[in-house]
Amino acid sequence: MSNKKTRYFVAIMGTILAVGLGTGLVASYMGLPVSVFSSAAGPDELQYVPADAAVVAYANVRDVMNSQFRQRFKSLEPSQNEKNQFEEKTGLNLETDVDSVVAAVMPKDGMANNPAGSFLILARARYQPSRLEALAIEHGAEVTEYNGKRIIRTHEGGAAADPNHDDMAFGFIEADLVAFGSLSTVKASIDAHASNHNIVSNNEMMKLVNEIDNANAWAVGKFDAIASKAGLPNEIAQAMPQISWFSAAGHINGGVSGTFKAEAKDEATAKNLRDVMGGFLAMAKMQAGNKPGLQQLADSMVISGEGNTVALAFSIPSELLDVLEGMAKGRHPGQIQQ
Amino acid sequence: MTATESTDGAEKAIKPMLHSFKRMSFFEASRRVFDLSLGEMLWSRRTIFMGLVVGGPVLLAVIVKLVETFGMSALRVNGQRVAGFGIFGVMIWMLFLRFIIPVLGVFYGTALMADEVEDKTITYLFTRPIPRGAVLVGKFLAYLACTFLVVLPSVMIVYFLLVPLSQLPGTFPSLLVDLGLIALGLAVYGGVFSFVGAFFKRPLVIGLIFAFGWEQVVLALPGYLKQFTIAYYLQALVPHAMPSDGVASLLQGMFRENPPAMVCLFWLFAYLGGFLYLATRVVEKKEYILEQ
Repeated sequence: MSNKKTRYFVAIMGTILAVGLGTGLVASYMGLPVSVFSSAAGPDELQYVPADAAVVAYANVRDVMNSQFRQRFKSLEPSQNEKNQFEEKTGLNLETDVDSVVAAVMPKDGMANNPAGSFLILARARYQPSRLEALAIEHGAEVTEYNGKRIIRTHEGGAAADPNHDDMAFGFIEADLVAFGSLSTVKASIDAHASNHNIVSNNEMMKLVNEIDNANAWAVGKFDAIASKAGLPNEIAQAMPQISWFSAAGHINGGVSGTFKAEAKDEATAKNLRDVMGGFLAMAKMQAGNKPGLQQLADSMVISGEGNTVALAFSIPSELLDVLEGMAKGRHPGQIQQ
Repeated sequence: MTATESTDGAEKAIKPMLHSFKRMSFFEASRRVFDLSLGEMLWSRRTIFMGLVVGGPVLLAVIVKLVETFGMSALRVNGQRVAGFGIFGVMIWMLFLRFIIPVLGVFYGTALMADEVEDKTITYLFTRPIPRGAVLVGKFLAYLACTFLVVLPSVMIVYFLLVPLSQLPGTFPSLLVDLGLIALGLAVYGGVFSFVGAFFKRPLVIGLIFAFGWEQVVLALPGYLKQFTIAYYLQALVPHAMPSDGVASLLQGMFRENPPAMVCLFWLFAYLGGFLYLATRVVEKKEYILEQ
């Protein structure tokens, strides 16, 4: 090649290309420890969600509890007396101690008969472990250890003969994080974190999580995986739209805004879904008529999508919440005035 | 020593050199011209222009990355956040495929022969004992090396800036398609415009009219005319959703057809081979008259 300068330039540019291609190839075929290079999207609790989870949901309980929306409907909640009883027993104040909750569903055979066995709930809060442990033992639970984590499991004697049955358990997996679900899902959660093979390494799911923006509650999932294990009657299963992925995200503050997105199996299904949703929306707009709050809600709904995606965005403004609050007061005047 | 003897000696000395030049194959001649042209092309003012053009997307990607680092969303469509790979797809469509590739094809492709004519240096190349067509092919290969070395790393940098590493395994095959497509696009546009540069007197104007007039208008119309564009076949192979950013884009999206990938590849390679062959034929046959 003609001169030194040209050779250097070719070498530098060639190196950039080679490094990029090499990194991509290694990541594609051998997997990449993402945490080494960057933080993954979503909360840290996702590292405790097994990689085979079909649905993952998250709620920032602190945000929701502090929101104007919640303050508005506080009067409809259980009485202070019931809350005090719960706090006295568990040492947990739901209003101030819970920060966030992550829920996941791991579909498995027999899920229809034992849905609780497929769920995992991860709650981050300020716990008093000794108090909770004592309370559980008092109610007949048993304390065990699994991979260095304390797990409290319940025993249901009558259920031993049921092959689908799995004891319920909760484990203290971090100082401020508890996993709750069936014994097998709690153990799977501990394993998922230890082996680094968790939902964060599930690219399809993380792509959806990464797209969520400015939401204090969201859920993403593989719709067909749930539908196939849910044991739905054939007639209903056939009538359901052919959706592969979905995501729903909401932001709760003064009002509520949110988006729902779904990916259909093909473009024709997506178009049908958009048409059906469009029809419902038109009907809702007609029905809303001269009710300003509902009219505003209907107007805020936007259906969009391209190819095999369908999206619905909505916003419930505080004016509409005023209307709903008025309706609630009309139905439960005594409770509201408390 | 007489004068005749001295001439004979010089002839004897030059003869093997002339012989080796005469024996130079088309391939070897092209390689020599490539070697000569690559340095010239890389360190020309045109490369500064190319650096600015491909530096734009890199700068944009850095800004997007910074915005997202602060927890804000850089791009929203219908109130929905467009994530890193979505933005990368938009950049591939709007910056690389619709602008950078045609513009580089026009500026470099038309200049391959036209610059030599304008600088009146074509005589020096044509007096060498090499096939005239090899001059064009060598220069075309230098153009490919030059643009690949600048554009492809820029796409790679934009990709790694925009796409989170967690999404890398799922999106990397699309990047490979994008890189292949951009390389093919540069080659085809370069081939077409090298013919324009060799054949016409005002090649730059004709090239710009073709890339930003003919192609854009025809793609937004119904009918078969769009088959006489490069963009029609190139855009059908893009693995990203087509963005609708204006009336022209909306119309192009409306009348967009997606011919099978093999058909697109066949026609793109046919355009490349066909126009490159025509360009070499023109260079072989044409009498370039240098303006005094």
